[in-house]
Amino acid sequence: MPLVEFHNYSMGFKDDDGNVSNLIDNLSFSIDEGKALGVVGESGCGKSMTSLSLMRLLPDAAVVQSGKILFDGKNVLEMSEKEMEVIRGNRLSMIFQEPMTSLNPVLTIGNQIGECLLLHHPDLAPDEIRARTIRSLESVGINNAEARLSQYPHEFSGGMRQRVMIAMAIINHPALLIADEPTTALDVTIQAQILDIMKGLKGDSGGLMMVTHNLGVVAEICEEVVVMYAGRAVERGTLKAIFDEPLHPYTIGLMSSIPTMTSDKSELPAIPGSVPTIYDFGKGCRFADRCSKCMERCMREVPKSLLVGKDHIVACWLYPEGEVV
Amino acid sequence: MSRYILRRLGRGVLTIFVSVTLVFFIVRAMPSDPVALMISPQMSQEQIDTLMHTYGLDQPLMTQYFLYMKELLMGNMGMSFAKRIPVGEYIMSRLPWTLMLLAAVMLIVCIIGIPIGLYAASRKGKLSDRIISIIVTMGISIFIPFMAFLLLYIFSFRLKILPTGGAYTPPTPEGFELVKQVACHIILPAIALSITNLANAVLYTRNSMIDVLHEDYIRTAYAKGNDRKRVIRRHAMKNALIPTVTVIGMQIGIMVGGATITETVFSWPGIGRLVYDSVNALDYPTLQGAFLIMAVAVVIMSFITDLVVAWLDPRIKLGD
Repeated sequence: MPLVEFHNYSMGFKDDDGNVSNLIDNLSFSIDEGKALGVVGESGCGKSMTSLSLMRLLPDAAVVQSGKILFDGKNVLEMSEKEMEVIRGNRLSMIFQEPMTSLNPVLTIGNQIGECLLLHHPDLAPDEIRARTIRSLESVGINNAEARLSQYPHEFSGGMRQRVMIAMAIINHPALLIADEPTTALDVTIQAQILDIMKGLKGDSGGLMMVTHNLGVVAEICEEVVVMYAGRAVERGTLKAIFDEPLHPYTIGLMSSIPTMTSDKSELPAIPGSVPTIYDFGKGCRFADRCSKCMERCMREVPKSLLVGKDHIVACWLYPEGEVV
Repeated sequence: MSRYILRRLGRGVLTIFVSVTLVFFIVRAMPSDPVALMISPQMSQEQIDTLMHTYGLDQPLMTQYFLYMKELLMGNMGMSFAKRIPVGEYIMSRLPWTLMLLAAVMLIVCIIGIPIGLYAASRKGKLSDRIISIIVTMGISIFIPFMAFLLLYIFSFRLKILPTGGAYTPPTPEGFELVKQVACHIILPAIALSITNLANAVLYTRNSMIDVLHEDYIRTAYAKGNDRKRVIRRHAMKNALIPTVTVIGMQIGIMVGGATITETVFSWPGIGRLVYDSVNALDYPTLQGAFLIMAVAVVIMSFITDLVVAWLDPRIKLGD
């Protein structure tokens, strides 16, 4: 049984008049225990909403429209708030994109990390909490951890804060760690350090859901990939399948916009245009407007997700043959 | 830290000096003559001259100013024209009453205002929040003297359950009876004075709480497994109260100077009433003394407010 399963999950946003505009449409994928999945796409593709859906931390205006999200075999969408509180920060934890603002400015670092232990293991002695907090800070490469416990977030740099966030997220050894663009807000040199920590975590047998627009990150860490575009999974499969044989024009576009050492092109190819907002979605393929291979059918009909190879699913009318999944 | 305190002190002294100077000249720009109020028709010219001399009113304006500043530096605020007692003594007899009223108002603001603000924020957009918002808007825009008279009309004149004015019913009662009487007398002026402050406290608490609840670190707190109650108590409240503390601190400073209109309507024997009486009597030294107290209170309260805010918010460093 997979650890996490999204089953035809759809959600959207309600405006002031109560009209719901769909964002995530019929999303399905799964993560096996201990495996790392990369969720890839440009900004605005619904990647963050996917992870917040699993955490059940969606913003107020968000509306779940249909589908199931199973975690440990139980539907997260039907759990009570109390049940969620037991899972969050314990079996299921999350690192956010903005390390600068994700820590509470008026509480000490030690206090904020220790809280994760305190919430899920209320019987731990204060000394034990302190010791484990120090250990977790050391495990993410923070020197002088003991002295830093009593410091506040503003005394930490962005990279250090993200390390604190990671320490906080892994202290209870979660079965799944969601990392929502954990390196986007950081300097390039710091990004590499944080990625090293993330790679190190993989040995700890917990699953990982890596949300990113950086294919390099995915290639280094993940075993499986979901490519999302405008709220839909356009292609998914094993890392090898997606990287060696990308099928969807959007995936191909993403791949070819990565700079390589060997290329002698003076300009990187880019996908023209940008991701439409939820108010501009057409009724066919949502990528149709930007697609160089757009056909008449693409404008009319939503492409079905079809199994085209071993563990390789694509939703594109260029590949109309395959087993329906 | 000690450098910070020194600098604050220097700035405070400067503020007080400027305010004392301004008040000195503004008071003397009033288009009437205090001597005319002090003398009686029976007095001889010689007596009048002696009186003028005693109060230094025969000196040129600038000489009066330097004399006043010199005396002030030595702790002497002068003699009240109206009461013929030292201004310091006169003001100190009134200050406790204003402070008592102030304490009552702040108690109401903190005990009622902050919880209502927090509650409204947690019910944002719902019916109860809207009702609170409407009442708050009314509270901020209401004309306080009107409110004071309305309270008097309802509770003192119609229902006859609360006294109309003063701090107690003469002759001065003793012991517990005094406490009881003062408690009864303080209710109406405290309510009248609280309304605007209360409304402001609710508004500030509500708005900053709503802002804080949208911060990323609140989402982090939920992601750790905190329940809503703990998120609000441990993660949101301290952050949300910072602006409220600033507003309340500044209000306290201003209110030490007394609420002239409210204290006058309820004949409350505080600084505000003193200002009113002193303007009527053209009692320059007392007016100057009252405004001096006000300036000192504002300076001290803004200092205390900064200390409290720095204690709440570790990002603020007082040393720099």
